[in-house]
Amino acid sequence: MLAISDGSRLTSRRWRPRESSGRLTVLLFFLPPALVLFSLFVVMPVGEAAWYSLFNWNGFGSPTKWVGLDNYRFVLENKAFFTAIRNNLLIIAASLLLQLPLALVLAIMLADRFRGAVSLRMVFFMPYILAEIATGLIFSFVYDGNYGLLAGIYRWFGAGDAPHLLANQATAFPAILVVIIWKYFGFHMMLYIAALQSMDRNIVEAARIDGASRWQELRYVVIPTLYPTIRLSVFFAVVGSLQLFDLIMPLTGGGPADSSHTMVSFLYNFGVTRMRVGFGSAVGVILFLVCVTFALTYKRWFMRND
Amino acid sequence: MRVLKKAFLAAAGFVITTGLATAQTTIKWLHIEANPAQVKIWEEVARDFESKTQGVKIEMQYLENEAYKAKAPTLLQSRDRPHIIYSWAGGVLKSQVEAGVLEDITALVQDHKDKLSASAVAAFTINGKVYGLPHSVSQVGFMANKELLGKAGVDAASIKTWDDLLSAVRKLKAAGITPLAVGGADKWPIHFYWTHLAGRIGGRPAFQAALKNEAGGFEAEPFQKAGELFKQLVDLQPFQNGFLGFKSQPAIGHFGDGNAAMILAISSFYHTQKVFAANKTGITDDKLTWIDFPSVPGGKGESSDTLGGINGWLVTKGAPKETVAFLKYFISEDVQKRLAGGNFVIPTFKGAESGLGSAFMRNIAKNVAASKYHQNFWDQDLGPSVGRVVNDSTAELAGGTMTPGAVAKAIQNASRQGN
Amino acid sequence: MIDRSESARFYEGGFGVAAFAKVVFLGMVAVFVLTPLLATALGGFKSLGELRVNPFGLPNQWEWEHYANILGSTRYWRLLLNSTIVATLTVALTLVVASMAAFVFAHVKFFGSAMLLNYLTLGLLFPAATAILPLFIKVRDLGLLDTYFGVILPQVAFSLAMSVLLLRRFFKDLPDELLEAALVDGCSYSNFFRYVTLPLSGPILATVGTITFVHSWNAYLIPLIMLNSDSLYPWPLGVMVYQGEYSTEWHLVLAFITLTILPTILLFLFAQKYIVAGLTAGAVKG
Repeated sequence: MLAISDGSRLTSRRWRPRESSGRLTVLLFFLPPALVLFSLFVVMPVGEAAWYSLFNWNGFGSPTKWVGLDNYRFVLENKAFFTAIRNNLLIIAASLLLQLPLALVLAIMLADRFRGAVSLRMVFFMPYILAEIATGLIFSFVYDGNYGLLAGIYRWFGAGDAPHLLANQATAFPAILVVIIWKYFGFHMMLYIAALQSMDRNIVEAARIDGASRWQELRYVVIPTLYPTIRLSVFFAVVGSLQLFDLIMPLTGGGPADSSHTMVSFLYNFGVTRMRVGFGSAVGVILFLVCVTFALTYKRWFMRND
Repeated sequence: MRVLKKAFLAAAGFVITTGLATAQTTIKWLHIEANPAQVKIWEEVARDFESKTQGVKIEMQYLENEAYKAKAPTLLQSRDRPHIIYSWAGGVLKSQVEAGVLEDITALVQDHKDKLSASAVAAFTINGKVYGLPHSVSQVGFMANKELLGKAGVDAASIKTWDDLLSAVRKLKAAGITPLAVGGADKWPIHFYWTHLAGRIGGRPAFQAALKNEAGGFEAEPFQKAGELFKQLVDLQPFQNGFLGFKSQPAIGHFGDGNAAMILAISSFYHTQKVFAANKTGITDDKLTWIDFPSVPGGKGESSDTLGGINGWLVTKGAPKETVAFLKYFISEDVQKRLAGGNFVIPTFKGAESGLGSAFMRNIAKNVAASKYHQNFWDQDLGPSVGRVVNDSTAELAGGTMTPGAVAKAIQNASRQGN
Repeated sequence: MIDRSESARFYEGGFGVAAFAKVVFLGMVAVFVLTPLLATALGGFKSLGELRVNPFGLPNQWEWEHYANILGSTRYWRLLLNSTIVATLTVALTLVVASMAAFVFAHVKFFGSAMLLNYLTLGLLFPAATAILPLFIKVRDLGLLDTYFGVILPQVAFSLAMSVLLLRRFFKDLPDELLEAALVDGCSYSNFFRYVTLPLSGPILATVGTITFVHSWNAYLIPLIMLNSDSLYPWPLGVMVYQGEYSTEWHLVLAFITLTILPTILLFLFAQKYIVAGLTAGAVKG
C-alpha cells in the first residue's frame, strides 16, 4: 500500500502531475476571472484617478484641460478638506479612547455564560448589522430639535427648546461621534469575546492560585493576552473611520457649513456632485495614499507577530 | 446548491428583461415638484396626451430639489437618462449643452416658441439653439405673515429699504417672534440674501462686469458691501433656532406653521407653505402678503429689478421625437391657464397670466413683467461649480464662520477656476 | 472533575454592590442601544402631532394605516426586490470567482503566484470610495450605468481580496493528502475542485457569503453613483428618496425606515450565531 503520510515525500521525489491533471486548464480558467474583475474595477480606477487628477474635467468626453498638480493645490487650499481630516482623526480618537474601552469592559462582563449573556451580546451587536444609512436616518430623528428624542427629553424636564445639535457647528460632529460609537462598539466587543473564549483559562487560574486580585489578574494576564485582538480592533477602527460616508449623509450631509465632513463625504460633495472629476480624483489619490501608508506601516510595525 | 444558483440567475434574468422597454415609446419625465396638487394636474395632462397620441406612455419620476441637483451630473451621463428634465437655465444649462447631453429642438419648436414670453425662451437658447421650453417664472422676495407682523407693530408696506428691514427684525425680536425662517442646510435659500443685495447695490452692470472679470471681478465694491450688509442682518440673529440644520422644505413648513414672521422665498413657496405645514393649511391668503426685496440707498440697482427663476424643461439627447410634442402640449394655452388658475405657476405662455387666480400671484406676475432686469438665481446662472461656491460661502457668512471679504474672495477664486 | 468554565470566570458575579452596579451598567447600555430603534418602530404608529409630544412612549392611538400603506405600495417591495437581486447575484458571483481563484492559489504552484496574491491583497488596503469617480466613468463607458451589473461587478471586485484570502486559507487547511491522492488516481484539478473541495467548504463559503451579503444589502455609495432610475434603487437609496419626499412627516419616514430595516433584523434574529461568527471570523482571519 502506498502509505503516504507526509506529502513532502511525494514532491521531494520530484513527482509531477500527469498532463491530464488539467493543471494548465485550471490555471487558465480559474484564475483570470478574479484577476480581470479585480484589475478592471479596483486597480485600474486608482491608476486612472492619478491620471485624471492632473486635469480639469467634468467627465464628459475625454479629459483635455491639463492643469498639472493644480488640483492638489486646490484640495490643500480648501478649508473643508482639513476639517474633514480633523474629523477623521477625531473618529479615531473617539474610537480608541471611548469605544474600545467600552467594548473591552463589556466583553469581560459578557464573555462568560450566565443567564442573559448571550441575549445581551446579540442586542449589543445588532447596531453593527444595520446599514449605516439607516442608522444615520434613525439618529437624524433622535437628534431632531422638534420631533426627536432629544427634544422629548428636554420637554419632559421642562427645559424649554432642545438645542438643534446637528445644526450647530460645535456640536454636530460630536453628535455624530456618539452615533459611531453606538453602531460599532458591539462589533469590537464580539472580537474581544471571541478572543477571551478561546483563551487558555489555565493561566487565569494559575494567577488566581498565586493570589492575584481580580484587578491584577485583569491587568497582567487577561488584557495582555488580548493585545493582538486590540491591535486588530484599532486597525478596524482606523480603516472604518477613513471610509465613513453613509452615516454622514443622512445626519448632516457634511454641514453645517462643511463642519462635519469626512474625507469620503468631502470627495462626494466637492467632486462627484459638482462633477469635478480631476478634483475628486486628487482627493481620492490622497485618500488612497493615506490608507495604504497606514495599512502597510501598521501591519509592519504592530502586527508583525500576529 | 447548483440548482438553486441556476434558479436565482434565471429569476434575475427574467426580472431584468421584463423591465426592458416594450413596443411602446416611453417618455421619462423627471421633476422636482413637491406639491401633490400640482403633480395631480400634471398627471392628468400626461394621461390626456397619451390618449390623444398613439403608442406613447409617459413615466414620471420625482426627486427632491437638492437631491436632483446633486444627482444631475451622474444622471445625465447614463444611457437610461430621463428624456425631460427640470431646469433653471443659466450657466448650468450652458455646461450641459457643452457636455452634449441635450437635444437641439430649435426646428421642432419654431412654430411654438413665439407664443411664449420672449425673454423666457431666450433663457433656454444657447448660441441660437433652443434646448428646452420655459414653463414658469418666479420672483424672490419676502413672504410675510401679516398677523405676526402686526403683533410686533410692523407694517409690511413700510419695509422699503434695507434699514427698514433691519428695524422690522429688531421689533419682531423684541416681541418674541422669530423674524425669519430659512433653510440653511440646503444653503441656496441663504444665498438669495447676498445675491439680491449685490443686485440692489451694483445692478446689472456690476454682475456683467464681474462675469467678465473686470474691475476686480467678484471682489469689487458691490460684492464686498453685499456681504457687509448681510452680516448686519446675521448679527441680529434673525433666523429660527437651528436654522443651519433646517432643509428648505421643513423651513417653509416652519413658516407655514406660523412660527416665523417672514421668509425670503421664491414666489412658488406660496403653495408649498401649505404642503409642508403640519396642519396642511399653512397661512391663509388673508394673512399672507408679499414684500419686494428692499432697496439699498445709493445703489445702482433699479427697484424694479427682480431676482428669480426662469424654470422650464429640457430635452435630453436621444429622446424620442414625441417628447417635444408632449412638451408643446404641456406648455400650451389651456394647460398654462389651468395651472395659473390654480396659482401653481406664473405662466410663460403669452396671455395665460390673465388666468391667475389670486391677487398674490397676479402681483408677482406684474413684478416680473415690469422688470427690465430679471436675474436668474446666481447658483444656477454661474454654473454648477461656481454656483455651489456662492452657496457654500454665503452659508458660512450666515453661520458666522466667514467674513464678507472672504466670501467675495472665495467666489472670485471659483470664478477664475471656472467650471 | 473540575468544571473549568466555572472555575476561571473572568468576572465573578456574586451578589452585592459590584454585581448590582454591573446589572445597572449593562441595563444602561441596553437602553442606549434599544431606545432609538424602539422609538423609530413606534413612531410609525403615531400621528405627526402625537409624535411631537410623545416621542418615546406607546402611541395613544395606534394608527395602522401608515405601515399598511407602505406595505401595500409597490414602491416598498420593488426596493426589497432590487436589493435581493443585487445582493444574491453579488454573493453568487463572488463565491464562484473567489473560490476558483483561491483554489489555484492554494494548490497550484506557479511562477509569480506569491506576487499575484500580494497584488490581490492590495484590495484590502483602501475603500471603494477612493477611486469612485474613475470607477463611475469606467462603468459608464462599459454601458453598465443604470443596470444591476453596474453595481454588482464593482461590489464583487471589491470583495474579492477578503474572499480569496479567507477561502485560500481554508482550502490550504484541508489535508494535502486528499489532493495528492486524487491526482495520483488520475483526477483532474477541476474535478477535484468540484467534487471534493467545494462540498467540504460549506462553512467557509457560508461565512464569505454572509459577509458579502450583508455588505451588499447595506451598500449605499456605489448604488448612489451608478443607478439613476428609481425602479432599480435598492432600499438604502429608496429610503433616502422617501425621506426627501416626506421630510416634514416624520411618522411616515419612521415607518418606512422600520420596514426597510426589518428584513435585516429578522435575518439577524434567525441566523444570529452564524452572522456574528461570519462577520467577526472574517475580520480576524483577514
